[in-house]
Amino acid sequence: MQVKDQFDFVRQHIRKNKLRVFMTVLAATMGTAFLIILASVGFGIQDTLRKEILDNRLVTQVEVYAADLNAEKAEEMKKIDHVNAVVFRQNVGTWQKSELDGFTTYSQLTVSDFKEEAKAGFALAEGRLPKNAQEVVVGHDFAASLYDESAEQTEQATAESDEETSESEPQPAYREAVIGKTFTYELGNFNEEKSFGQPIQLTIVGIAKAPAKDFIQDSRIYADAAVIPELESIYAKGMPEDNEEPLFSANLNVYADKLENVKSVTQVLKKDGYDVYSISEELDQIDVFFLALKAGLIFVGTIAILISSIGIFNTMTMAVTERTREIGVMKALGAKPKLIQRLFLLESAWIGLLGTVIAVVLSYAISMLANFVLPMIVGAALGEDGFSDLDVTFSIIPWQLVLIASAISLAVAMISGWRPARKATQIDVIDALRQEL
Amino acid sequence: MITAQHIQHSFKIGKKGKERPVPVLKDLSFHVEKGAIVSIVGRSGSGKSTLLHILAGFLKPDSGTITVDGTVTSDFNETDSAAFRLDRFGFIFQNFQLMPGLTTFENIELPLKLKGISRTVRKAEVNELLQQVGLQEVRDHYPNELSGGQQQRVSIARALITNPPVIFADEPTGSLDSETEQEILALIRSLNRTRGITFVIITHDDEVAAIADTIYHMHDGVLAAGGVHHAG
Repeated sequence: MQVKDQFDFVRQHIRKNKLRVFMTVLAATMGTAFLIILASVGFGIQDTLRKEILDNRLVTQVEVYAADLNAEKAEEMKKIDHVNAVVFRQNVGTWQKSELDGFTTYSQLTVSDFKEEAKAGFALAEGRLPKNAQEVVVGHDFAASLYDESAEQTEQATAESDEETSESEPQPAYREAVIGKTFTYELGNFNEEKSFGQPIQLTIVGIAKAPAKDFIQDSRIYADAAVIPELESIYAKGMPEDNEEPLFSANLNVYADKLENVKSVTQVLKKDGYDVYSISEELDQIDVFFLALKAGLIFVGTIAILISSIGIFNTMTMAVTERTREIGVMKALGAKPKLIQRLFLLESAWIGLLGTVIAVVLSYAISMLANFVLPMIVGAALGEDGFSDLDVTFSIIPWQLVLIASAISLAVAMISGWRPARKATQIDVIDALRQEL
Repeated sequence: MITAQHIQHSFKIGKKGKERPVPVLKDLSFHVEKGAIVSIVGRSGSGKSTLLHILAGFLKPDSGTITVDGTVTSDFNETDSAAFRLDRFGFIFQNFQLMPGLTTFENIELPLKLKGISRTVRKAEVNELLQQVGLQEVRDHYPNELSGGQQQRVSIARALITNPPVIFADEPTGSLDSETEQEILALIRSLNRTRGITFVIITHDDEVAAIADTIYHMHDGVLAAGGVHHAG
């Protein structure tokens, strides 16, 4: 029998028992949709937590801690497999002051290798990266950190003379564009809060992209490593001879090429004796927990499908019983037992498939509705207007879940139909032909 | 064409574990010539239907062999037996045994579907046969919309559609009035003569049996002594 004829045969029989088949498909749909929705809650919560952890953080970043970090060690780390970039930043650890058009800031200067910074995702909001020792990039909030020191002193004096004014007025901020501007940068003694009196001129050629989190402010000055000798010379001259405090404190971050490789990079660094921290360790624990949770939810959902399978079993058993004579005639005419079995298995598979397809569509609809409505309900219940603005996902249906649920549903449908189909092949032709019409 | 040798068969009756065999066919041997009409006549319980079931492969004999055109069919398993039936046998039943959910056209088409014949070929062959047996007008009717005679014609057409060399007819006119009976018998005779189809007819009606070239009389599972009768 051709495949198309087999499907025609199944369709004819389904058409004859529309209501019964509809109810069975409905049961299969409900079971499968229950499984998908239940597990989707696990996926949703996991995604929300992961997002919370990953939000605004470089997921491929491995923080490296050691007392003696230096450029040579950074170079060595670049050779580790799957390392995309090694950012070795040196932050000026002494008193520092910058002045631009009469406005002052005490922002920290950081020296780094911009080639590596760019590979690690350092991006500019405008301008370009420094090309020499006199050029710098400033943080997105550098301009905002500039203030008029003389105006502040005047206001402080006014405030002291006026008893009714207890709070000072906002500082007059720097409102002009900083890019292309040259400012003076000077180092000083931290304890004395005083400049060494050897200012250098730095030109702003770029502004870094704003940090993703609103509450983080970046007013740093990022300079190229070429500026180090000049700064160290000023520092050495300005500080007493017995000073042992270095000018720079270092911090080093290694960036893996992919999130999946963070773990292996972390392991190599640990093996080399560094103290490291990466997000993969935190995510691993969460993923293990949610894997168990999702497996549990899928198991509970599978029970629903198993219950619905009773419907399929009943429908198919009824179908075989009702069609005993027809099966007998087919066998008498020359239908092979395998064909009879296949026709009934096709019918139960069709019921399972239809139930699954409807369930998947329904689940996506319910999932979208839940993600839309639930935050509003929870927000209203908690009396927090802002809750609906939060990025909380209650339900997510990844394709893997659809695949797992469909496989379980179809397998259960086939298993439910297998026994009735087997029974159909065992129908005795003579007994079947003797049945009354 | 068909040779039965020393066929023995018995049914078991009684409670499970305490069954006792009741012999139905007792060392039965006979031969059907190619292109012949053979009738097996006997009263109810004589074993004639059991013999047909064994010849058709619905039932395996306890012992003995059935040979069809040199092929021993009594050793077939269920699958081989089904394939052989589809290829070589046609069936006409007393109750017509049409599929209630299928139209005349679809009922006749069924064996071709089982053989995996393409839709186009099926359509052409069924239409041709519908005209030959005069069922063109009721091609889209369901069995319950047909008279007994029409239903039996559909049943005969279904048996003919695969061009089988042998057709087994089990009480082919048992559910028909005498006028329709004559029509059906005339059709069988005509098909035998024009197409050379071998007919094995099981009946208890002497009038039906009379159309056969050879008549076997069955009694208590044996061909009665002198039961072989060659019709005019």
